[in-house]
Amino acid sequence: VNRQTDGCGTDSEVRGPHLIEFDIRGRVYPSTLLKALREVDNHRERIRSGAVKLLFRTDNPLCSLTIPDAASAMGHEVSVSRDGDHFLIIIGGDYR
Amino acid sequence: LSHMAHPTMIDLISRLSIRITGEQGGAVESTTYLLLGANGALLGICTGFIMHRSGFCLAGMFRDLFVIRQVTMLRFLFLTVVFSSVFFEAVRLSGLPVIYPSPIFSPPSVSNLVGGCLFGIGMVLAGGCVVGTLYKAGAGSLVSLAAFGGLIFGSAVYAEFHPFWMSWCRAMTFSSNTTIPQQLGIAPLPLVLALCGISWILCCKWHRSGRLRVDSPADGFLQPLSAALLLACVGIWSVIVTGMPLGVTTAYAKMGAYIESAIPGGHVTGLEYFTDITRQYVNPLTGVSLAWSAGPRFDAVAALQFPVIFGIAGGGALSALLLREFKFHYRAPVRQYVSAIVGGSLMGMASRMVPGCNVWHLCGGLPIFASQSLLFLAGLLPGAWLGSLLLVRIVIHDDGGASP
Repeated sequence: VNRQTDGCGTDSEVRGPHLIEFDIRGRVYPSTLLKALREVDNHRERIRSGAVKLLFRTDNPLCSLTIPDAASAMGHEVSVSRDGDHFLIIIGGDYR
Repeated sequence: LSHMAHPTMIDLISRLSIRITGEQGGAVESTTYLLLGANGALLGICTGFIMHRSGFCLAGMFRDLFVIRQVTMLRFLFLTVVFSSVFFEAVRLSGLPVIYPSPIFSPPSVSNLVGGCLFGIGMVLAGGCVVGTLYKAGAGSLVSLAAFGGLIFGSAVYAEFHPFWMSWCRAMTFSSNTTIPQQLGIAPLPLVLALCGISWILCCKWHRSGRLRVDSPADGFLQPLSAALLLACVGIWSVIVTGMPLGVTTAYAKMGAYIESAIPGGHVTGLEYFTDITRQYVNPLTGVSLAWSAGPRFDAVAALQFPVIFGIAGGGALSALLLREFKFHYRAPVRQYVSAIVGGSLMGMASRMVPGCNVWHLCGGLPIFASQSLLFLAGLLPGAWLGSLLLVRIVIHDDGGASP
C-alpha cells in the first residue's frame, strides 16, 4: 500500500494498481467537492481507460449527492454506498 | 379575544398566562409573547430538521450554480416559491386575518439590489445563509458557528451607518407600490395562476427525465421535493400565526445590541438604530400591538426570532443526533474560518441594508411578487457569482481546480 498525503492534509492510499483512495472525512464543504473534482480531473484519462478507480471517503451527506452528480456529468461511472458512519464514492468504470 | 381565528388554542394559552400575570391587559400581551415564542421554537425546529435531512442549503444552491454549473437543488427552491405562492394566495382569498402584503415589506429601492449583492457574496463565503449557518452549526459545524459570530458582528456594524443608509434608501425608492400586482393594478391571482402553469410544464418535463427525485444513500434522507413542500407549509404557518414570513435577521442585530450594551462606555445608547422603536408589530391572531426593534430590550423580535434561531440550530442537532451523525466538524484550514467570519459579517450587514435575508425574500417575498424581493434576487445572483469566484480563487484554491 502506497500512502500519500497532499498539502492540505488529505490522506490518500494507492491500493494495488487500480484503486486510489482519498479520505476527505471531517473536511468542510465545498472544499471536499472541489478536491474530489480536481482529483477526477487529474486522473481522467486513467479513469477512462479503466486503469484506475478513485475512492472517496466522506462523512458529508451533501458530498454523496454532489460529487456523483458532477462526476456523472463528466461522463464517469459512479457508485455510492455507506460504510459505517461515512459514505464511499467510487468513480471509475466504463466511460460513456 | 372574540375576533381570534383559533379561539380554542388562544384561550388555552391565555388562561395559562392570566395565572402568570394576574391581570387581563397584561395577560393578553403575555399570551401574544407566549404564542410567538412557542410558535417560533416549533417553526425553527421544523425548519432546521427539514433542511438538515434534505441538504436544503440555499447558499449552496447558488454557489453550485456558479462553481460546478449544477442546478439540481435550485430546481427545488423554485418549487418552494411556487408552493408558497399558492399557499399565500389561498390564505389571502380565505379571509383569514392576515394583512396582505405584510407591512414589513416596503416599496422597492435600489438599496435592495445593492444589499442583495453584498448578501450573495457573504452567503457563499460563509458557507451557508442566515438559516443554513444555524442548522449546520447545530449539527456540529464549527465553521458555521464562526459564521454565526460574523452574522451578529455584521448586524451590529450596520447600526453605525444606519441613518446615512436610510436616507439613501428613501432617496433611491422609485415606487410607492410594494408588489408587482399592486404596480400593475391587478389582483395577485392571475400571476399565481401563470406561475402555476409554467411550473406545471417544467415539472412534467423534470418528472419525465427523473429530475424531480434525488438518489442518496444518506440515512433518513428527505427528498428535496418533499422538503420544498414542507418548507412552504412552514412559511404559510408563520404567516398565519405571526403575520409575516419566517425571518431571523433582526434578532441577529438585537444580539449584537445586547453584547454591545454590555461593553462599558454606553456607545449603544447613541446609536439611532438601537434606540428608536421604528415599528409596531400587530399579531394577526390576538390583535395585540407590540414593539418591534433591534435594540437591547425584550419585545416582539426577541419573543419570536430568538426561539426561531435556537429552534433551527436545535432542529439540525436533533436530526443529526437521531441519525447518530452528530459530531463536531472543525478540520478546516484557518482561511476557511476567516472566510466564514468575513462572509457572516457581510451577510449580517447586508441583511440589515436590504432589509431582510434570503429566506425572507425568496420564500416570503417572491411568492407574493414583492418588488423589493425581486430586486434582492437580482442583486443576489451577481453577488453569489462574485462570492464563488473569491471562494475558489482565494479561500480554497489549494483544494480544487474548478473555476466559476
